[in-house]
Amino acid sequence: MAENGELYEAILVGNAKKAEEITKAALEAKADPSELVQKQMIPAMDEVGRRFECNEYFVPELLIAARAMKTALELITPHLAASGAKPTGRVVIGTVQGDLHDIGKNLVASMLEGGGFEVIDLGVDVPAERFVEAAQEDDDTIIALSALLTTTMTMMKKVIDALEQAGLRDKTKIIIGGAPITQAFADEIGADGYSDNASAAVGLARKLVGAK
Amino acid sequence: MAIEALNIIGESINDSVPSTHKLFEANDIEGLLELARFQSEKGAAYIDVNVGPRSPDFMGDLVRKIQSVTSKPLSIDTPDPALARAGLEAYDAGKAGGAKPILNSVTSLRAKMFDLVEVQPFRPILLVSEHVVDGQSRPCHTVEETVAAAKHLVHKFRDEYGGTNDDCVIDPGIAPLGSDSEGNIHRLIGAMERLHADPDFDGCHYSVGLSNFTVMLPSKRPDGMPVKGALESAFLTKAMPLGLDMVIGSVKRKYELLAPDHPAVQCLNDVLKLTSFDVLMRVREFYS
Repeated sequence: MAENGELYEAILVGNAKKAEEITKAALEAKADPSELVQKQMIPAMDEVGRRFECNEYFVPELLIAARAMKTALELITPHLAASGAKPTGRVVIGTVQGDLHDIGKNLVASMLEGGGFEVIDLGVDVPAERFVEAAQEDDDTIIALSALLTTTMTMMKKVIDALEQAGLRDKTKIIIGGAPITQAFADEIGADGYSDNASAAVGLARKLVGAK
Repeated sequence: MAIEALNIIGESINDSVPSTHKLFEANDIEGLLELARFQSEKGAAYIDVNVGPRSPDFMGDLVRKIQSVTSKPLSIDTPDPALARAGLEAYDAGKAGGAKPILNSVTSLRAKMFDLVEVQPFRPILLVSEHVVDGQSRPCHTVEETVAAAKHLVHKFRDEYGGTNDDCVIDPGIAPLGSDSEGNIHRLIGAMERLHADPDFDGCHYSVGLSNFTVMLPSKRPDGMPVKGALESAFLTKAMPLGLDMVIGSVKRKYELLAPDHPAVQCLNDVLKLTSFDVLMRVREFYS
């Protein structure tokens, strides 16, 4: 069943109920959970991202597809853990201190999960110390910072400074995004990457962890 | 302006608008002044001034320069008290026919900004989609939290700073419809219904950042019908009877009140009966 790409199609059109049914049936039939993720779910979300970037899909489609992906992933995750499969990478994401906006951050988190990353979402109005604490829990963490306000984007530099002071800067990669953010600002504050949309953020994160 | 009772706070002079950001970065003051002239000519009731993270001196200078090219009152748009003070100090009500400026915006956590009435009397935009929890500003998730935040700020401004209901511009906070799986539109309309029915708020004004409602949606449907403009007009059709009389928006947009059978009005009415991802599905159905 899964080999026919039905899970891929269900995620692509955002049919969460169908994605759930297909995943359950596939797992009962002893399908390889890692193969479901790598050959159907991640390619489906990659296609969602491609359509989003060329304006065939918009945010509602992206969120609906991400929900279908998440529904399937929740069923598969225990099987993945049992098989010892590793996520593509670990991302700690949050909206910086003083900023309560979470739509862009949530979109990026959903797309990163869809891209096979383990995502730790710290929420909104996150102080620099919380990012440091989360980075301390694991080496090779990507810190993803979001800000919507020109008055809060300056907090991104404070997070980078805090990571440096904690001796964690070399062990982490920092990516940033949000309406007022530019590549020039990312360069100015010493971030490792910038993306102007949720789909491209996945490609950026993959590049930083050396994944294809 | 297509809707006579709707006052537009022209949104163009804002550092977070990419094309305007370029003007700020290039220090193209004449370009910024042209935005003020254009919005003024196109019927804006107020000209919003958001300089991003620049200095108080820059804010003050820009306010003076904008007032040299328009007689429209200004909306000083910043959460930074120092920038707000500079903008209000520089503002000359005499050049705007005696009209008070707007201060955009005051939240429960930033209520100390009311102190700036000593610098210049102003009309505050009261952002009531946030409230204070354990000393931190947090989003309001319910009608009750939103109404309580409005009561707190309106009462404070009236009782402690001599403000009137006519001074108060309540912003219940509008979120993008295309990502609204958590019921923000229900919270917003529910709060407006409650506030509008409460005599304690008679005479208050209401405003939202209308362009935010349709951000991230396509401009047109495959059949050519506008998506963003139609949904924004549908929102106005729903919210103006509940007291909405201002928007921070574009003077280029042709806002209009729509008939009940307009597809965008039907979409919005359906959305208000739906929850969670069914909202997104219905919005997708509208523009597909």
